[in-house]
Amino acid sequence: MPGRGRCPDCGSTELVEDSHYSQSQLVCSDCGCVVTEGILTTTFSDEGNLREVTYSRSTGENEQVSRSQQRGLRRVRDLCRVLQLPPTFEDTAVAYYQQAYRHSGIRAARLQKKEVLVGCCVLITCRQHNWPLTMGAICTLLYADLDVFSSIYMQIVKLLGLDVPSLCLAELVKTYCSSFKLFQASPSVPAKYVEDKEKMLSRTLQLVELANETWLVTGRHPLPVITAATFLAWQSLQPADRLSCSLARFCKLANVDLPYPASSRLQELLAVLLRMAEQLAWLRVLRLDRRSVVKHIGDLLQHRHSLLRLAFRDGTAEVGTRGKEPPVWGQGQREGEVGNNSLGLPQGKRPASPALLLPPCMLKPPKRICPAPPVSTVTGDENISDSEIEQYLRTPQEVRDFQRAQAARQAATSVPNPP
Amino acid sequence: MASAPRPERVPRLLAGCLPPYPPPPPTVGLLSMEQEETYLELYLDQCAAQDDLAPPRSPLFNPVVPYGMYILNASNPDTAFNSNPEVKETSGDFSSVDLSFLPDEVTQENKDQPVISSRHETEENSESQSLQSRLPSLSEQDIGLGLNSSSLSNSHSQLHPGDSDSVQPSPEKPNSDSLSLASITPMTPMTPVSECCGIVPQLQNIVSTVNLACKLDLKKIALHAKNAEYNPKRFAAVIMRIREPRTTALIFSSGKMVCTGAKSEEQSRLAARKYARVVQKLGFPARFLDFKIQNMVGSCDVRFPIRLEGLVLTHQQFSSYEPELFPGLIYRMVKPRIVLLIFVSGKVVLTGAKERSEIYEAFENIYPILKGFKKA
Repeated sequence: MPGRGRCPDCGSTELVEDSHYSQSQLVCSDCGCVVTEGILTTTFSDEGNLREVTYSRSTGENEQVSRSQQRGLRRVRDLCRVLQLPPTFEDTAVAYYQQAYRHSGIRAARLQKKEVLVGCCVLITCRQHNWPLTMGAICTLLYADLDVFSSIYMQIVKLLGLDVPSLCLAELVKTYCSSFKLFQASPSVPAKYVEDKEKMLSRTLQLVELANETWLVTGRHPLPVITAATFLAWQSLQPADRLSCSLARFCKLANVDLPYPASSRLQELLAVLLRMAEQLAWLRVLRLDRRSVVKHIGDLLQHRHSLLRLAFRDGTAEVGTRGKEPPVWGQGQREGEVGNNSLGLPQGKRPASPALLLPPCMLKPPKRICPAPPVSTVTGDENISDSEIEQYLRTPQEVRDFQRAQAARQAATSVPNPP
Repeated sequence: MASAPRPERVPRLLAGCLPPYPPPPPTVGLLSMEQEETYLELYLDQCAAQDDLAPPRSPLFNPVVPYGMYILNASNPDTAFNSNPEVKETSGDFSSVDLSFLPDEVTQENKDQPVISSRHETEENSESQSLQSRLPSLSEQDIGLGLNSSSLSNSHSQLHPGDSDSVQPSPEKPNSDSLSLASITPMTPMTPVSECCGIVPQLQNIVSTVNLACKLDLKKIALHAKNAEYNPKRFAAVIMRIREPRTTALIFSSGKMVCTGAKSEEQSRLAARKYARVVQKLGFPARFLDFKIQNMVGSCDVRFPIRLEGLVLTHQQFSSYEPELFPGLIYRMVKPRIVLLIFVSGKVVLTGAKERSEIYEAFENIYPILKGFKKA
């Protein structure tokens, strides 16, 4: 059309407004060169308002996808945005959801299950990228029950045949610790409780590693261990002011929920630290207890590798030979003396003999001794005496009594509420 | 069906786990002839009692008790005298004796038998020999027993310093025969004890189903049976319990029944029959069709802690370990198709088996894997 300019290639003024699919273009009618391109839009109103239309809305793919699946996919994207996940996670999670939706069992499932499925897809994506998202967090976001979540999660992993790596403990520590509101003074957090983030993170990490090595993490929910480790790290960085603060108060200050097992994890961790402290001569004389050992956590963590080796003997070898008495005292004495010499201190008091390095469930005495079942020589084809069967049947008199009692109960329950 | 004998369930002991031989005679000094003979009889009674067939499944139920103790407990001294003359008769040529009817562990004792009997023979043959030398050499032979033919031949030469060759080869010949018998003893396929150092999974629960093949009136059953509970709003079946064997049954109106809680296949079958009898006595034409064991659950303890995180890394395609959901690792073994729950304390639960042998096989497969994670 005249008045629109000239084609840069051939100089012709015959420019035609043409649209290539949904994109408006100015094209030279002589040589075919594209002079200008418009934005990719579908609807006339959008074009008029110069607003972009996303690809997923412009193509016809949504017509092929059922409404509930569309809703589910939207929920997946929303959840990823709420959790502030990187954009690539969104596509992966959506792909998993679509993959799951191809199975008829999922298509026919209840809405509650589909809702939880959204969470499962996001969780699997995060796990595969080592993003530390806990199931508890997803359940709170979705208002779902952990049991329901667990069953659907196991089902979907099996159905899609996915390899889901374990929760990355180090990443979880970093994320969880950063959520503690202790790094800035505020009306609820006095100055002496404020702590440097990096110091606390590194110490917590070391404590969690220590817990992992001493069987405190295997088989347990990871979060309470991290809570206990964070608390100990925080206390040990300024013990004079902070020893008076309890675990519950600490969590309230930091605005973090206190998980129920955290206090028992704390006790277990302190017991491990006390055992390690027994191997250091200058700490042995102090006769530490669970409160005073906190002041020396820094030292203990510094030498933790050698102290672990000294304080604990391998429980795996010992347990098999539970019958005979291992020469504990002599071994402990020898090791203790070696330890003393290596640390350059005079041989004074003897350290405690090494304890067994076992998970706490194996250290506790068994609740009840399971007696060996008696040898049974049942063949399955024995004669069954009539008297034995009769003992399980009601006599006619008993039947009548029972019926009368039942009728009376029915009458009592059917009477309307007394005034 | 469960009525046929099951030789494959008999455990076979390791060659190294031989039962302790009866203690040697305390006095080594000179004894009178009568005293010596009565003592010999007593000693031979003990040996023969050991050789008696123990209840074949007894070691299965108590892995901690050493096998020898079980044999002694189960022994019946009265039968010893009867077995003695048999022992004497079969002392010569052992290649023709068919020992396949005996459970495997007894063939080890049978190796002792020819030696004892041959010694008994040599005792009779050489009555002129000094009495002193016989007793200590007997005791040496006891202790050195096992498959130690060299010690036997040594003690024999000690016993008969200048004797003719006719005596010496005879004890050695059955000895070598017994040894060759040991080597060709057939290994039963489904043995629960091989490399596992005597750990045998114990069965904890058996679930079985049976068809009573008649429509049942659940209300009537609940009314006339003392041990039944029926709550149609909660569950559409009668829950019935019996005391011996301690089990629970779910009885449906279609006539199908599920029996749970038994500790062995035979007990499950007996319990199911008792439930069917109760239903029969209540006036229904109940039959006992299609009894089938649907699931067997076993458990055992490997006695060392297991690094579950390591196990899930190396066996990712079979394991599922979610500490946030469940403290144990769920291992889905492909062959046999068994699900194992492995805990950090070393306790293992095996489930999903239709046959007892599947549980044993699954444990044998998992034990070397778990041992690999013994060292932290």
